[in-house]
Amino acid sequence: MIRDMTLGQYYPVDSVIHKLDPRVKLSATFIYITALFLFRGLAGFALVTAVLFYVIHLSKIPFGYIVKGLKTVVTLLLITVVFNLLFTSTGTEYWHWGPFHLTSTGIINAVLMSVRLGYLVIGTSVMTLTTTPNALTDGLEKSLSCLNRIHVPVHELAMMMSVALRFIPILIEETDRIMKAQTARGADFEKGNIVRRAKNMIPVLVPLFVSAFRRADDLALAMESRCYTGGEGRTKMKPLKYGKNDRKAYLAVIVFFILVIVFRIML
Amino acid sequence: MGIIKAKNVVHEFFRRDEEGNVEAITTALDNVNLDIQEGQFIAILGHNGSGKSTLAKHINALLVPGEGTLWVDGMATNEEENTIPVRKTAGMVFQNPDNQIIASVVEEDVGFGPENLGVPTEEIRKRVINSLQSVGMAEYKSHSPNRLSGGQKQRVAIAGVLAMEPKCIVFDEPTAMLDPGGRKEVIDAAHELNRQKGVTIILITHYMEEVTGADYVYVMEQGSIIMQGTPREIFSRVDELKEHRLNVPQVTLVADELRRAGILIPAGILTREELVEAVIDAYGQAEMSTGGELSDGINYSG
Repeated sequence: MIRDMTLGQYYPVDSVIHKLDPRVKLSATFIYITALFLFRGLAGFALVTAVLFYVIHLSKIPFGYIVKGLKTVVTLLLITVVFNLLFTSTGTEYWHWGPFHLTSTGIINAVLMSVRLGYLVIGTSVMTLTTTPNALTDGLEKSLSCLNRIHVPVHELAMMMSVALRFIPILIEETDRIMKAQTARGADFEKGNIVRRAKNMIPVLVPLFVSAFRRADDLALAMESRCYTGGEGRTKMKPLKYGKNDRKAYLAVIVFFILVIVFRIML
Repeated sequence: MGIIKAKNVVHEFFRRDEEGNVEAITTALDNVNLDIQEGQFIAILGHNGSGKSTLAKHINALLVPGEGTLWVDGMATNEEENTIPVRKTAGMVFQNPDNQIIASVVEEDVGFGPENLGVPTEEIRKRVINSLQSVGMAEYKSHSPNRLSGGQKQRVAIAGVLAMEPKCIVFDEPTAMLDPGGRKEVIDAAHELNRQKGVTIILITHYMEEVTGADYVYVMEQGSIIMQGTPREIFSRVDELKEHRLNVPQVTLVADELRRAGILIPAGILTREELVEAVIDAYGQAEMSTGGELSDGINYSG
């Protein structure tokens, strides 16, 4: 059913990774991405691969499920590979035709780039698969709270994000309902070329927007009536607290990062 | 002074044209006077556009009077420093169940109010559990609100208000978007809170059946209170209600018609049981079976 759709495709199983504090997962992902662009040589490659697979193993998410997420970036991967292969002119040349070259550096770059991109997508999807959108918002709010000092409305942004997450399924359902209502009156959303189909969406989008604004108005009133005045002086029902595993995870992430740097310098 | 007192409250909505000049003035509240005592169950009846929802928003300080004053627990709503204490004293449940639930998990939504008030974490958890229990939704605490029925969502909304520990809850047409089952759930929950916790309830509605259990009823039309009294007093004035195009509960209507037909039935019958008894009294024990059938034939939903 359409209302069961969740954003970020949280995969509900019970694992060590799922239980980690969202802040740990956020910073670990950030560091992993940095490491992906830093590593060099076979040892570095082996390290980032081993870590990724170990984390996937810990998360208890089926490997096939994660690889499915790669499908969406296949085109991007292919374009990167082709460009790297054909437009790198340094290194030993094997073949060339007009502006196109096939060189040893090109091949290495192509492989490296696809590994980097592929791991990047897998790495970030491990985070979104193991963290609920709410926990993620909470984690972001807490880890970015230092930006409050330079007047970035962190709490407000996080609140907007969580309200948006709450209303996505409601608005999807509403779209479905409006589309059915318009279909019943003879609208056709499947025929015609792309321009025609885009035009046909207007009678869906207009009522959807009107209703979204009305909902926003109602919600603002409801929030005000429950004494919402912004982030100041607010307490939390579920405050984020670091546990033993979180500290261990931080340590592991730091060790991993140092290793990547050491491998880069030494080898 | 009662918990809610309104003195000559006037509220006008201005419609402006593009230059900001006033085009039209709608008087939503016209000299409204109220005096509600703590612990009462009050119903406010009226058609769409009668000003009853505007009045509700005044009690919660979402709107402030243009003229006159409204006090909630002794605090005048038009003074800015009273806004938050007023909202804490008088909570509000709105019409649309979807548009007042803020979080994507039931217990987090109930915790939203106390979080805003700066209540300590441990205390929030306690309040959330207690509030959910008082509306019978404790087992749904970790569910997503999207999967609940309308009546359940409204009960979550009630719990959300309750967690702020208000003295008074305003229900602004809480059942208008619900099916009869959901309507009963919500109204029962409101009565339960009134009885068990002594919370003052102000129920705004246009369903006559929901009014019968109230202690006192105000009827509004075009921004003014046109009738007030106990439900029995109000519903014994059938002709007057009809004049204002207000539906009378079916039972009351039947009783009224019977009385007009010359059967000795008292005015202001509110429930099926009362009618059955009155008919039995009027006709004597011999007709009891007819009475039984009559009671089954009357439908609850209007």
